[in-house]
Amino acid sequence: MASATRPATVRERVADADRSVGRLLLVAAGALFWGWLVASWVNRWLGGVLVPVGQPLIPAGAVETAFAAIPGFAAYAADAAFVVELTPELSRGTWLTVVITAVSLVLGFFIAVPLAVTRVYGRFSAWLSLAYTELLRGTPLLAQLFVLYYGLNLASYVPGAFSGVFARDVVWVAILGFTLNGAAYQAEYIRGALESVEEGQITAGRAIGLSKLETIYYVVLPQGLRYAIPSWTNEFVYLIKYSSLAAFITVPELYYRADQIASETFRYTLIFVVTGVTYLALVLTASKLMERVEERVSIPGLGADSEE
Amino acid sequence: MSDDDFLRVTDVSKWYGDEKVLEDVSFEMDRGDVTVLIGPSGSGKSTMLRCVNRLAEAQEGSILLDGEEVLSPDLDVDELRREVGMVFQGFNLFAHLTAVGNVALGPRRVLGLSETAARERAEEQLERVGLADQLDSYPAELSGGQQQRVGIARALAMEPKLMLFDEPTSALDPELIGEVLEVMHGLVEEGMTMLVVTHEMSFAREVADEIVFLDDGRVVERGPPEQLFDRPEEERTGRFLERIASHD
Ligand SMILES: Nc1ncnc2c1ncn2[C@@H]1O[C@H](COP(=O)(O)OP(=O)(O)OP(=O)(O)O)[C@@H](O)[C@H]1O
Ligand SMILES: [Mg+2]
Repeated sequence: MASATRPATVRERVADADRSVGRLLLVAAGALFWGWLVASWVNRWLGGVLVPVGQPLIPAGAVETAFAAIPGFAAYAADAAFVVELTPELSRGTWLTVVITAVSLVLGFFIAVPLAVTRVYGRFSAWLSLAYTELLRGTPLLAQLFVLYYGLNLASYVPGAFSGVFARDVVWVAILGFTLNGAAYQAEYIRGALESVEEGQITAGRAIGLSKLETIYYVVLPQGLRYAIPSWTNEFVYLIKYSSLAAFITVPELYYRADQIASETFRYTLIFVVTGVTYLALVLTASKLMERVEERVSIPGLGADSEE
Repeated sequence: MSDDDFLRVTDVSKWYGDEKVLEDVSFEMDRGDVTVLIGPSGSGKSTMLRCVNRLAEAQEGSILLDGEEVLSPDLDVDELRREVGMVFQGFNLFAHLTAVGNVALGPRRVLGLSETAARERAEEQLERVGLADQLDSYPAELSGGQQQRVGIARALAMEPKLMLFDEPTSALDPELIGEVLEVMHGLVEEGMTMLVVTHEMSFAREVADEIVFLDDGRVVERGPPEQLFDRPEEERTGRFLERIASHD
């Protein structure tokens, strides 16, 4: 008897293998990246428990020797060692990049939701919200950062409770800038998602005696925010990359440190390739993370599911 | 017309912009009555229902519910809606909530019941409409008939004194209509006061105390089903009934 399932064609099997090998490589690369990053951070916070602060986790010399020993890799031994030398500085910068992005994104979200809700359901407030969104989306982010930093000199007004959290108070200025700007973009995405919630949902909420605000909170937002996840992920990704603009107001994040090392060593290509790969790893992590979140909160018949 | 009518609609008129969609509509119901609104598409049936729970605002006339003026600007609209349940043609179930979640939301957030008490009440109501085995299903996982029964349970969970049904079976495949009508029959037997828009004429004939025929925003004719269906006084009523009958 022939088996019920047709044996996979060679091409299908290769594609499957490709996919699983690709997946494995991606997971391995991710583990290496985050392992290295977190270990570097912990080492620094704990005052050098693994290696002296400022030293790479693995001695550059050892990496150079190892590369030299592998046939075909000898030519890259010096470059590999150089990259390893950079990791303490770059991982420090990456820490700020991650923190600035994450904090700004979360704070921005809590501003974006009311902005989006007032845009869709408000009257006068809708107009205010529109003005805010258009102003922040219509002017260059870098200019906004300059206004906050050079124009308003906010770095010298950081409240006591926040001052000293980061080595430099200017980090708060960057967070403020990205929060205010990101909120405008997030609000646009969330607004679009709220508008796609069916009118009948609101009618039904009102009909059981929920107030307008309660209906928005208990009915519209739980649906709209789910719809918003994919486009919201874009904003997450943009913010990771745009956070590099903080370098221009002297925040020592990833781009800032890369630029500094490059101008000292003149090895621009190598340094920015490594920096670019680091941003790429952060971006991939973010989109994978959001894919997970989307899966976790998905509801049959809502959003992507309903397009079946 | 007695003074103790439970619902008394008097000369209600409503405009959408320049368009007059209800014109001096009047009818009344006693407690426990079933009144069925019929009429062609666009005649204002839905609008009339929605004026009763203030989802639409009538500009003229009076709607007294249990002695209280529904159209009064001082009325607490959310309070009114707590007491008037509504069932929609398109079900309008909360898409992100399970059957229990749909039914429990009102008791929890509007009536202020505890999480457990709200869930218990929701389970009772879902049992009442025959859905004890679908408590945790999402709307998209239910058939149309099941969804509409959840919709009815959601309204009942607020323990309303009046139920409004806006074409509750119109969106259903023919084989699913029966289960919803059966639930509605049950409510009639329990003595629920119901104002129903429907094209299910046999249902109307069976349960209605009065049929109100609306056309072009006006009450053309009203009366008990035997009279209105079998001996309509107005020519328009007869023509409408013939048209409906030929669709069945
Ligand atoms: N929100 C609205 N804005 C403007 N016009 C409306 C609105 N709702 C209803 N109308 C108009 O009011 C009139 C009555 O509509 P209504 O929905 O009450 O009719 P209906 O008898 O329920 O019809 P159907 O059998 O198609 O449901 C129609 O002409 C309709 O176009
Ligand atoms: Mg209608």
